[in-house]
Amino acid sequence: MAEPVLDVQGLSVDYEVGAGTFHALTDVSVQLTPGRVVGIVGETGSGKSTLAHAIPRLLPEPPARIRSGRILFRGVNVLELPKWKLPLLRGTGIGMIFQEPINSLNPAYRIFDQIAEAVTVRKMRESGEAPTLFPVTEPHDYSRGAPVKSGDALLRAVLPSLPKRLRSAHRQELMEDVLDHLKLVRINDPETILDLYPHELSGGMRQRIMIAIALSAKPSLLIADEPTSALDITIQAQVLTLMKELMDEVRTSILFISHDLGVIAEMADDVGVLYAGHLVEFGPVEEVYTNPRHPYTKLLIRAIPEGYKRSGPLPALAGSVPSLANVPPGCPFHPRCPLAKNVCTSDPGPVLEPAKGASSRSHLAACYFSDEVARLP
Amino acid sequence: MATNESAGPLSSKRSKTRATALREFLRGLFRILRANPLTLIGFILVVIISVTAALVVLVPAVTQVVLGHPVLFTPYDPNGLSTEYGQAPSGSHLLGTDNLGRDMFSRILAALPLDLAIGFGIAGFALLVGSGLGLVAGYWDNPRTFGGVVSVVIMRVTDIFLAFPSLVLALAIAASLGRGTVPSMLAVLLTWWPYYVRLTRGEVLAIKHQPYVVAARAAGTSETRILFRHVLRNLIEPLLVYYTLDIGTVIVTFSTISFVGIGVPLDVPEWGTMVESYERFLLTLPWTVLSAGAAIFVTVLAFSLFGDGLRDILDPRSRRALVQAAIPSTLPAKAFVAAEA
Repeated sequence: MAEPVLDVQGLSVDYEVGAGTFHALTDVSVQLTPGRVVGIVGETGSGKSTLAHAIPRLLPEPPARIRSGRILFRGVNVLELPKWKLPLLRGTGIGMIFQEPINSLNPAYRIFDQIAEAVTVRKMRESGEAPTLFPVTEPHDYSRGAPVKSGDALLRAVLPSLPKRLRSAHRQELMEDVLDHLKLVRINDPETILDLYPHELSGGMRQRIMIAIALSAKPSLLIADEPTSALDITIQAQVLTLMKELMDEVRTSILFISHDLGVIAEMADDVGVLYAGHLVEFGPVEEVYTNPRHPYTKLLIRAIPEGYKRSGPLPALAGSVPSLANVPPGCPFHPRCPLAKNVCTSDPGPVLEPAKGASSRSHLAACYFSDEVARLP
Repeated sequence: MATNESAGPLSSKRSKTRATALREFLRGLFRILRANPLTLIGFILVVIISVTAALVVLVPAVTQVVLGHPVLFTPYDPNGLSTEYGQAPSGSHLLGTDNLGRDMFSRILAALPLDLAIGFGIAGFALLVGSGLGLVAGYWDNPRTFGGVVSVVIMRVTDIFLAFPSLVLALAIAASLGRGTVPSMLAVLLTWWPYYVRLTRGEVLAIKHQPYVVAARAAGTSETRILFRHVLRNLIEPLLVYYTLDIGTVIVTFSTISFVGIGVPLDVPEWGTMVESYERFLLTLPWTVLSAGAAIFVTVLAFSLFGDGLRDILDPRSRRALVQAAIPSTLPAKAFVAAEA
């Protein structure tokens, strides 16, 4: 098996605020091998976004505090990097797509400038003018498209001091790159879009621009934090189709975060289920969905409304997610679990291990009774 | 804002010369002004006021060099006494004369450069100092860090200044420094910057938590670049608008100090001083006090309208809307339809 791009080991994140300490993530471990798409699914407040922001160290610290764990990205422990090195990691190393396409673009700049910024960062790092943590051109491989031209380093070194009209050669070069990426995200008439401001575009268009920005840096890991949740359902389908197509073209590893089981099923190879900051199940999507080995996953899948059936009430999950300030001891799910026994309430809770009765060794569940889950209705 | 009949290949659109770009900008500006008469009035007034002020200063200086003796731009010497005292406005004295026979029109014009310089200068100083401090206090405000301590110190000092009504504080400082143009300017200068600190810090706090700042950070942008490219760029609009509106307020405050009688000496033409000294002639020689008051009013109004218009022009969101209001079918509307299709 190839060396993982991302190896998160036992990550625990707290939020220390006036009202108390919130355990947003407890002992979460995730691995991503190159080219694989890992989905993380969970309810609101389960720590999905915290995980997404913790990996590139985007959490505001304080109030967030990374209590323990290790985030190995291409062999570098992200948690041990000094603060000033973090920007070198982001963009070309770890790219991100956010939930709110409406506000994720700076309203003061035209689309061209916004994409050009990311392209410039990447080009500077490729040519060695800007420092970087990793050789930039290495593992992300675009299976299609010409290799990146290494620009004239001398010209670019003196560029900032040149008057604007002398920069046009540089601008022309940037322009081609920007247009390529706009075409990559299937934008019609990219030449017109370049001159527009973000507020002149629809939500779906803006999310495409965000994807173009993230991809133009050619990251070896892309984190998509609920990229379609703020879009309405038809646009959501368009953006998902686009992302699915892009996954084949741009073989980058993706951590895809969503609350939508259907979206994850569509996009991901592996899925991790988060509950109250604990990773309760992890495995290949197919496995986990057809043969869940944690009662929470099972009940969550059962709670998906099926079509427009009118037979009785929806099979909702009884109870609610525990407050993160007050996570139950042992297995966090035991108060709502139909299989709970005394052993479930005592610390330390069950750990993620190969599930009993699962057909694959890579299917993990954190439950003492994972072999009994199949018997649940 | 090119008219888009020729949505031709990219290269031709990109290679437009600087001259055409300027012409397009001016045409866009013209459209905005035509669609907004109030903004137009503000712009025209500001231009007239600025040109007049420049002439009042430059004409004597240039003639001094060229002719060897200064020629005043004003029709009469603003401080020249004459026997034609207390005359109503007429052809020879446009705004009449005061109780000492001085031409009011000349006095109003002579005061213009000083009052404008005070407005621009004091507000400009406050803008520089206040926004600098506000930027620091807003951007590095993480508690338990060095920046956080600096931020707290800046804000508490600001609060101390804000605790006093600025006019009262300015009067107190002016009174303790003694009568004169420089002391009263200093008084306003010292009381004016805290408002800019508050304004800037608030804006910075709002901007730095915007998703686009987080997105920029996630894209690998360094903190300095975020500060200048993302935070500062979005600060310019509110600050510039506040600044232009503030010029009028500074002039009024300065005039108030002069009006109370602790500002500019009586022999220096200044609108506030004039209102004060002519106040007792309100019933007998009303044109004196009224023309000085009107000068303040028109200047403040001009800069307020100018500032309002500037806000619309600087904000890309309303700029396009304004142009579209003027000429319904322009490029962006069509582009938007094309983008959606």
